[in-house]
Amino acid sequence: MSAPPAVSSLVEEFERAAIATVATVERIPRSPEALNQALVRATAGCERIIFAEPEGLPAGLLAVFRADPRLIANPTDDQLSSAQAGVTEAFAAIARTGSICVRLRGMTAAASLLAPLHVALLRAENIVARPRDLFAAGAVGLAQDFVFITGPSATADMGPLVRGVHGPHRLHVIILE
Amino acid sequence: MSAAVTPRAVANKSDRRTLVKAIRLALGLESAAVRHNTQTFNRNRYRAVAALPDYDALKDEARGIKERAIANLPALLEQLRDSITAPGGHFFLARDAAQARDYIRDVLLRHHARLVVKGKSMTSEEVRLNRELERAGIEVAETDLAEFILQVADEQPSHVIAPAIHYSRERITALFKRTFETGLPLDTGEDLTRFARERLREKFLAADAGITGANLIAAADGSLMLVESEGNIRMTCLCPPLHIAIAGVEKVVPSRAEFGPFVELLAASGTGQPLSSYTSFLRPPIEAPPFAFRGQTKHPREFHLVLVDNGRFSMRDDPVLREALYCIRCSACLNSCANFQTVGGHAFGGETYSGGIGGSWEAGTGTLENARFNELCTGCSRCVPQCPVRIDIPWLNDNLRDRLNQRERSLLSEVIAGLVPPPDHRARLPKLFFANYHVFAALGTRLAPLSNWIGRLPLSRLLMEKTVGLDRRRELPAFPSRPLTRLAASVRRVSDPRAKVALLADVYSNYGDARKPLAVIRVLQAAGVDVTVTACLPEGRAALSQGMIATARAHAAKTAALLKDYLAEGRDIVVIEPSALAMLRRDYRHLLDNAELVALLRERSFEPLQYVWKLLSEAQADPRELFQVERFAPGPRLFYHSHCQQKTIGAAPATEALLRAVGFEVATSSVECCGMAGSFGYKKDYYELSMAVGEDLFQQVALAEQDGARTLVASGVSCIDQLRAGTRRPVLHPAEVLAGTLA
Repeated sequence: MSAPPAVSSLVEEFERAAIATVATVERIPRSPEALNQALVRATAGCERIIFAEPEGLPAGLLAVFRADPRLIANPTDDQLSSAQAGVTEAFAAIARTGSICVRLRGMTAAASLLAPLHVALLRAENIVARPRDLFAAGAVGLAQDFVFITGPSATADMGPLVRGVHGPHRLHVIILE
Repeated sequence: MSAAVTPRAVANKSDRRTLVKAIRLALGLESAAVRHNTQTFNRNRYRAVAALPDYDALKDEARGIKERAIANLPALLEQLRDSITAPGGHFFLARDAAQARDYIRDVLLRHHARLVVKGKSMTSEEVRLNRELERAGIEVAETDLAEFILQVADEQPSHVIAPAIHYSRERITALFKRTFETGLPLDTGEDLTRFARERLREKFLAADAGITGANLIAAADGSLMLVESEGNIRMTCLCPPLHIAIAGVEKVVPSRAEFGPFVELLAASGTGQPLSSYTSFLRPPIEAPPFAFRGQTKHPREFHLVLVDNGRFSMRDDPVLREALYCIRCSACLNSCANFQTVGGHAFGGETYSGGIGGSWEAGTGTLENARFNELCTGCSRCVPQCPVRIDIPWLNDNLRDRLNQRERSLLSEVIAGLVPPPDHRARLPKLFFANYHVFAALGTRLAPLSNWIGRLPLSRLLMEKTVGLDRRRELPAFPSRPLTRLAASVRRVSDPRAKVALLADVYSNYGDARKPLAVIRVLQAAGVDVTVTACLPEGRAALSQGMIATARAHAAKTAALLKDYLAEGRDIVVIEPSALAMLRRDYRHLLDNAELVALLRERSFEPLQYVWKLLSEAQADPRELFQVERFAPGPRLFYHSHCQQKTIGAAPATEALLRAVGFEVATSSVECCGMAGSFGYKKDYYELSMAVGEDLFQQVALAEQDGARTLVASGVSCIDQLRAGTRRPVLHPAEVLAGTLA
């Protein structure tokens, strides 16, 4: 049996595939400052941001960003639907297809869908080779509601391919190495 | 002026004339958009599945999951009922369309729902849900942009995953400008998308309920898998508190673990993407807290799963239609079909379902007569290798035709009873003619050249058109003065042969232009093959394509018995006509009981150039020693179009490889089928469609000849006729080209 692919090669494959889906990808070191800078860059121009607290990241990592005044604390439903960006965790990703996997609970369902920009935080070690690897018995979170997100929402129904339909128009993935 | 024909008016094609009307409508208005969009899907699919390292294994796995799930369906449904109701969901099994409609309407009325947002659901189209809800005073907002277009236009879907695939951007702009009063621009794809998005966002936020379909459902925990690219299905599941999912019972699999292969196959086979933008896995009622936008009252989440039988359990008991229950509605069979690419689902489709698999669905969930549009399946078989669950779609259509034939009642059937195996005598006269072409061809050859002269008379052509539906505009192949079987008497024996073959005198080679089979014999002999020509027998293709299965079985049995003896004396079988070869290789498994003989015929029957290439490769011989390209007077530049069924049985690459190895510069067509497809293009009802399909091929010839002329080459007799009709130039069989390189 061949050894599982190294994390770094999966990261590279994921990055290539995600860019092919017209997502944007950024790799950063795992520090609160670096993460904050990346999030500030990614959400530049957004005044109202929904932040769904990650479950799988150390709380301290987001200490700086959490103080960003643009974040709406305890948003109402109308604020959820009118925010300009949503920030969520991606609990896994798929290298071959460039997809991220987002668990849909609490605010993540709305934060990953309703705003024009979705920013996802992904731990490099959570990238798997292909979709079926996630379905292998015991994979984390699969009993719950989740979604494979592959690029921004898109349609070809109106003639040419248009990105940005009902779901986010832009998808940015921040990989924590 | 007569009123314009609308797609809805020709949706039900149980009457043959409606089918012809629908073809005309589609060729006029919808063809350009359908062609562009389906061919894009088709190209993308080839790319996407080529990137799946274990595509064939995935297909086997997917097929196995579906077979087992359908076999265990009653138990799975019981399990699913518990899985849905345990966390507080509601489960309803609707026996028919009316039960499904009534249940959903009543749930909505109980909730005082006034506005429902809907994700795309073919099952909801099948049960005519929207009409019922609107009658009950409930506003239905289709949120998939294609369904939104169709709702505005009041048309039925023309494609299973891209229901408005027949609409060009220009036509959508015109439709919206006619329908909506808006200050927003509507002149680009972005404009139209923005307009629809803003309008539908209002609906999502105000909706009382959401209705979706489901791509798969897991019995073990009630999970739904939902595939989409726009985000409207996610919105439909998330925004309103009440979620109703409607799906056919065949969507149920044991657990989420079985979703795996389908996740990888569905998008790749459909849009040709590695994955669609969103593949959701939900176990409703979903975990996300309910919303109340804009001062609405907050309601707890509630979920109803409506599973629809509507004929599916009867399909399950039907050995043919059961196959359709394995379908995952990916649309690969639509996109890879030359006829579908040219007219789309408003011609090649019924009231809900379309394309090659659509006939079985219309027959299974409606009536057999609704499946009459399956006549547009030419049996070219290009869909077969594309199906992720390995459904032999042409075989399903052969059976639908067989059943439809048996419902025909005519005086003629009484007259010819006894001449044709029952119940095939009930088939209409044109079908009887095309299925028994060998009888007429034998007679024509006996009477040649008189028969050729008579055949060209305008009066004869008029009569043939009126009686058997043979289109007057088609040039008929001339009968030879002597059939191949007579010429074969002078075929010399090869001493000390490298191999021995029996060349099947198929009907088209035997009663067609003799230069082709003689060239095949020369080429085989040059490669050191001893050739003997068999008796001429119809192998069953012609009968099968007309849905006369009993006749096809009889033909197949006789041919197999004939070839069996040649196999026993150590001869491989060579078949010139690819459609006849494909019978031996692909179709006999359905027609013959002797599995051993079927396997033997599949393994030991070959296309002529494929056989030569195999021998030379095995001997590691250089083809250039035998065939000298310089001797071929017209020059080394060829345009080669391989036959559809030749592609499906994998016999096309060898021909190309051999021609190239000999030193020819070969440009190839990339069309799935030439449009003639056996007898299809000769029929009056389908002549225009056939020529429209051929247009792609003719354009590829022109493109390939931009830098200079090429000799036109094709392997199938009908491909040769079609290319000749489209280019008005001679077309050779590859063996004739190779024979021209011999000393």
